Amino acid sequence: MSPGFLSPAPAAALLAAAGTTALLADRLWAIAAIAVALLAICLRAPAERRWIYLFGALSTGLGVLVFSPFLWSSPEGRLLWEGPTIPVLGPLDVTTVELYEAALNALRLSALALAFSAYALLLDHDRLVAAAGFARRSALAVALATRLVPSLERDAAGLADAVRGRGIRLEGARGYATLLSPLVAGSLERASSLAEAMEARGFGRSGSTRAPRPGWTRRDQLALPLAAALVVMGALWL
Amino acid sequence: MALACLERLTYAYPGAPPALQDVTLTLAPGEVVALLGPSGSGKSTLLRALSGLVPHFHGGRFAGRAVVAGLDTRRARPAELAGTVATVFQDPEDQVVMTIVANEVAFGLENLGTPPAEIWPRVERALASVDALHLWGRKTVELSGGELQRVCLASALALEPRLLLLDEPTSQLDPDAAALFLAAVERLGATVVLSEQRVGRALELATRALFVEDGRLLLDAPTPDAHEWLAANRPSWTSPSVVPTQSPTRPSETVLALRGVAFGYRGGPAVLDRVDLSVGRGEIVALSGRNGSGKTTLAKLAAGLLEPDSGSVRRVGRAGYLSQDPGRYVVRETALAEVALAVQGGEARARAVLERFGLGWACARHPRDLSSGERERLAIAAVAVAEPDLLVLDEPTRGLDPHRKLELGRWLEDYAAAGHAVLVATHDHELPAHRRIGLSVETTQAPLAGELVAV
Repeated sequence: MSPGFLSPAPAAALLAAAGTTALLADRLWAIAAIAVALLAICLRAPAERRWIYLFGALSTGLGVLVFSPFLWSSPEGRLLWEGPTIPVLGPLDVTTVELYEAALNALRLSALALAFSAYALLLDHDRLVAAAGFARRSALAVALATRLVPSLERDAAGLADAVRGRGIRLEGARGYATLLSPLVAGSLERASSLAEAMEARGFGRSGSTRAPRPGWTRRDQLALPLAAALVVMGALWL
Repeated sequence: MALACLERLTYAYPGAPPALQDVTLTLAPGEVVALLGPSGSGKSTLLRALSGLVPHFHGGRFAGRAVVAGLDTRRARPAELAGTVATVFQDPEDQVVMTIVANEVAFGLENLGTPPAEIWPRVERALASVDALHLWGRKTVELSGGELQRVCLASALALEPRLLLLDEPTSQLDPDAAALFLAAVERLGATVVLSEQRVGRALELATRALFVEDGRLLLDAPTPDAHEWLAANRPSWTSPSVVPTQSPTRPSETVLALRGVAFGYRGGPAVLDRVDLSVGRGEIVALSGRNGSGKTTLAKLAAGLLEPDSGSVRRVGRAGYLSQDPGRYVVRETALAEVALAVQGGEARARAVLERFGLGWACARHPRDLSSGERERLAIAAVAVAEPDLLVLDEPTRGLDPHRKLELGRWLEDYAAAGHAVLVATHDHELPAHRRIGLSVETTQAPLAGELVAV
């Protein structure tokens, strides 16, 4: 996925196919293999940028693995632990089938999040926008939204520093939750400034052109059927 | 023939009093005009009127006329004026659209419908003209503030505009980066309107100066006459804002002591290595150095926002920290509540501090409705209200006009004289300090003595 290995559009198609295959497949080893491959791709991004994406992707999967056996009950499989019956949730127990399903869903979710992480971290979004033959505005909106993650992370750290710098301690999730509203207000303000700058630079004017960019290589052309094949394999055999 | 003219222009943002009042102005081709005035005086609004962003983007009430290159801005939208007019805004992070530098510079050219074969040569010329050709393939998120601002200038220059509007473009840059930026502006040959708080540099560059206050154009004169007018009417704008600093009078108890401190961010190289620094009660210590030299990291370590990888940090009493670009980080709905936050809602105390910083009138205003300079002052007030024993400020003069900077200098002196310790990370040599410590990559990778450079 590094520059030169694949053009951004075929790379995005492959990542989307990997995520879709992880959702469609039913075999644990196949989904695990996809997740590991995507993790290896993400590890090519600089450490200081990738950690927040990896943390998000892996912690989400872990959350599903830990909690879903308690929230979903199956009479099948060997009973590993039996707890009380909770209203609404039902019997609180853990069976081997529940654990298997939890691992399956955790890996699916992690693979999907890792595919997005690789897209956000490694792809040249500018060329994706340029490659969009239609709906260029929508493609640009997606590219800008992708850039929102590091920008929000920076703003959140800045807000936390600003508050702690006044001697106010931020403790636990509740403490940090108080920063959510100013964080959203700040990103709206940033978005408004960006929109103003874009208008001043002629965005939206009719008759726009594109700077010439390199065409697709043979490898790029092969990537598309490969992506389609991956999805079909996921749906039929994995 | 005039390139642009404003005729009796009066403008008010929605639900606000007039930001510009009865402004009449003509710009000739090739002029370099310095636009001066206190923060919140209407400078940015005047630039927006020339680019058509006012009234099209912001709405509000607009009276009078603005004509740019023969186009009346009431009818021509900013996107239609783009190319003829180009703007570089104050904060580069708020104007960058693309991921890669070359694509960022090409963005405006693509919007204007430039023939594809001409785009990359023009991008190359524009980047070369600001000494940024080496940044061609770099990611915009990985650039320093100075580099990013030069890329923004290149993006504007690539359009080959007849009128270039620069809204405090050097406010985030260290002196070297600012000099490079302004040197690139000087070589342009286009009509330039440069809004600046670094008055000396702006007047050196300009052939004519404007002074705006409370939305009114008080001065429109050639630079030599402008110097005389400023000396007579706004003396703090002509002389450097250095406040005479006396040595701390009382025995200096050490409030902050860093010994052998080393620090590196996760996954990155060491930013500081074996650094020693001490600040005593009653003392102001200034840390200076280029962007990226480690000033902010050192300031955060001093304030306790970061923990060192090795070495020790000892503090006596409470520490307060004012971050860079603090106006962005407001958390309450009114200016009064913002300041009162650090004193558990003590509104009387918060009101007094707001008065001290010239913001008494803004108590009930939403902090995000204030101008950037006013927000910076609000942020200083929000930290100072708790009277920390050690006050750490990171670039506190950014966006402050000379008069406000002079006031801040005086306040810092008073604050130190009252028995507090002050550590300031700043590019600004006009702020008072008892000691100045220059940071560079070499000094931050080697033992740094607190008494490196004494003033």
